[in-house]
Amino acid sequence: MTCETATPPLLQVRNLSLRHLSASGPITILQNVSFELGRGEIVGIIGESGAGKSTLGNAVLGLLAPEFQRTSGSIELDGRPIDPMGGDGDAIWGRRISAIFQDHTASLDPLMSVGAQVQETILAIDASVPRQEARARAVALLARVGIPQPERRYGNYPHQFSGGQRQRAVIAIALAGSPDIIIADEPTSALDATVQKQILKLLRTLVDDTGISIVLVTHDMGVVSEITDRVLVMRKGRVVEQDRTAVILDAPANNYTRSLLAAVPRLRLSATAGKGQANGNASISTNVGEGNTMLLVAKSVSKTFVRQGFVWNSSRNKAIFALRDVSIKLPRGTITGIVGESGSGKTTLGRIIAGLDRAPAGSVTIDGTQFDVSKNGRRSGLLSRVQMIFQDPAVSLNPRMSVGETLRESIRFGASLHPKEGPADAATMMDRLGLARSLIDRHPHQLSGGQKQRICIARALLAKPQIIIADEPTSALDVSVQAEIIQLLKDSITTQHMTMVFISHDLAVVQQLCSSLYIFKDGQVEDFGSSDFVFSQSKNPYTRALIDARPSRFTC
Amino acid sequence: MALISVALGRLAQAFLLLLAMSLVGFLGIHSVGNPVFNIVNIETATPEDIRNATIALGLDQPIWHQYGVFISNVVRGNFGTSYIYHMPAFALVISKLPATLELACVAMLIAAPVGVGLGLLAGRQSGTVFDRIVLRSSVFALSIPSFWLSMMLILAGAILTGWFPSGGRGATASFLGQEWSVLTRNGFWHLFLPALALAIPNIALIARLSRSGTIEVENLDFTRFCRAKGLSPRRILLRHTLPNISMPIVTIIGLQFGGMLAFAVVVESIFAWPGVGKLLIDSIQLLDRPVVMATLTFISVTFVALNAFVDLFHAVLDPRVRLSS
Repeated sequence: MTCETATPPLLQVRNLSLRHLSASGPITILQNVSFELGRGEIVGIIGESGAGKSTLGNAVLGLLAPEFQRTSGSIELDGRPIDPMGGDGDAIWGRRISAIFQDHTASLDPLMSVGAQVQETILAIDASVPRQEARARAVALLARVGIPQPERRYGNYPHQFSGGQRQRAVIAIALAGSPDIIIADEPTSALDATVQKQILKLLRTLVDDTGISIVLVTHDMGVVSEITDRVLVMRKGRVVEQDRTAVILDAPANNYTRSLLAAVPRLRLSATAGKGQANGNASISTNVGEGNTMLLVAKSVSKTFVRQGFVWNSSRNKAIFALRDVSIKLPRGTITGIVGESGSGKTTLGRIIAGLDRAPAGSVTIDGTQFDVSKNGRRSGLLSRVQMIFQDPAVSLNPRMSVGETLRESIRFGASLHPKEGPADAATMMDRLGLARSLIDRHPHQLSGGQKQRICIARALLAKPQIIIADEPTSALDVSVQAEIIQLLKDSITTQHMTMVFISHDLAVVQQLCSSLYIFKDGQVEDFGSSDFVFSQSKNPYTRALIDARPSRFTC
Repeated sequence: MALISVALGRLAQAFLLLLAMSLVGFLGIHSVGNPVFNIVNIETATPEDIRNATIALGLDQPIWHQYGVFISNVVRGNFGTSYIYHMPAFALVISKLPATLELACVAMLIAAPVGVGLGLLAGRQSGTVFDRIVLRSSVFALSIPSFWLSMMLILAGAILTGWFPSGGRGATASFLGQEWSVLTRNGFWHLFLPALALAIPNIALIARLSRSGTIEVENLDFTRFCRAKGLSPRRILLRHTLPNISMPIVTIIGLQFGGMLAFAVVVESIFAWPGVGKLLIDSIQLLDRPVVMATLTFISVTFVALNAFVDLFHAVLDPRVRLSS
């Protein structure tokens, strides 16, 4: 406290207000935002989409688009004001403040080797460094961020790196000018949970070792709980609460913070009492009656991707297994989870069951009827039995069709399959899914993300399928909306007596929703069983690693 | 290994393409009319003369037989003798090649750097006055007919100012057994206006393509990241944006270059430039089938070769293509 007057904080944002000049008039994006960042500190900025957290990060970086306008306040670095529009960029970028962005693939130039991109940064900051020395420093930086064999990987291109390694390379580049501050905008959101944990650990180590400071912009409470020292909670352009991380997590003062925390799905590691069915893999079928209990049986499904040669396929193509001899069973009227990291084949299997992808080997049996998965969905008849809900509602609705048109199309399809039952009613379905009937004439761009995903769910239900496949249906949504959608899916499935496959990378969501689950790894089923069994008793090392990768804070 | 199979595949494709093209060209010329009437003097010829000429040219045979004879001759490297010029058809095409080649090369050497430069600058500052000028004038340059553009260039560059000659190839110098205008000062002077007439629409096309590519790439995260890591705007533009927008540009340059070799007829005619395009149109009018077929074959081979070059360039430029196996 006493030294505050002597030295100004490394970074101080005072009463910053920004607005965005759009065609329909100025919109306030940030309102009187103030915060401080000290040396060797990680400050988290958390909020849902539209909270202005990324804009705040860009303002500190001086990378605001020209349509933004500052209406009040200042940003000071070491007590000297800096321009949020980038007017001081040359003196600041790379040298004092650097950045890490969310999308590690898009952050690197695909046509330049990774080493050269680190080297050029070193040379851009200090042109007097000899090229050989810059190269040596670049190798040292790559080693510093944990890239194995940096000397050998120096000449490799971004596409030859894994996602985690690319993000490490981005961190190396951000460190190249020895900046005081790194603005990290969702640095781990595009990464798998196990990799995310490693990257966060790396950032924390860098801060502790070098005294660099990080502003961490994120939507994920888990990330905040893992490495930040202090947290700003933002909502609609205002800071609603800021405090030390422990205080925010344990004793939040603000209602919004509390609701954000409550919405984070938590993983239970102890078996829930009462159900008493945690007796191993066999338990999948115990909660269903005798006889024809399995609605869907997928047997020995395999799919390979042939790596294309350049222009013409070369004689011996390498086959990469997307799925290798995968079998799953869905008990009637239940929700089954498929969990895995990117590239595990979980989405591919979902698309094969839905008839959207073909598989050269294997079979799918629904309700006793066997379908030929080597044919497309229309020819094999799968399309009439299965509907799909996709990850990103923003791109899975036809932008030129109104909500009503989208739903009516689905109703017609459903009615054509079940001529005796009569058509479903769009309005009733909208009521049930909590959609105002007035939305029926709107087009997708006039809807929020949550509303769009509800429309997608309505569209799937109205086609009267036997099985719904939901592929990461909540991962493009804010946490608070995510919780609503999960509840909605659960209710719809139980009231309509449907069966669902829920594909996700999020263990806690799967636990909330699914009675049994399969864990996929590298195109194979690594572990399976009832939810209770897998989370509390499974000894499978990969399952344990997935569970351990979750922030311990949100596991109980 | 992969490269050989790629090359073999390409050759097979090219072969099929040539076969299809020759069939279409052959039947096309056949359906236009009987070349005999362009060869004998219609005023004086007796039916006997016409029949003799028809037999001499092999035109009395059924069309599939004529095609078979043509193909077997081509395989032996013989495209036949021009009905009109009475010299080997392929040698005729080759003799027109230097004029066309130097015209197309100079035009593209003007168009590519100017177009890419304008496009990069316009894209970097999209929405500014400069950008709007580039956009508007590119629409203009693309939509004016080339005969009008050629005549305006003659009017401005030759008649009013007297800076450039208005047509012809001027002095030539011999190189590789052919005559080249570009090697002499006077010849180059003659070459400039027609090259400019061919270059202007291509400048516009390349500039528009570069501009939209630049805007797209500048909006990507990695250009933002390049700024945040401290690179100068100049380095970002030349070292990162330019390589990333060059794929479609190189593709278009390849196609347009091929087009200029074959179809620069209007410009060649107006500037009295004796090139391949003019030869093709004249031969079609005179139903000089050997010359038409020789020209079409040459054009097809050129396009196949240019496309192969473009693919090769992609592989050199893009590690994702180069290192895919």
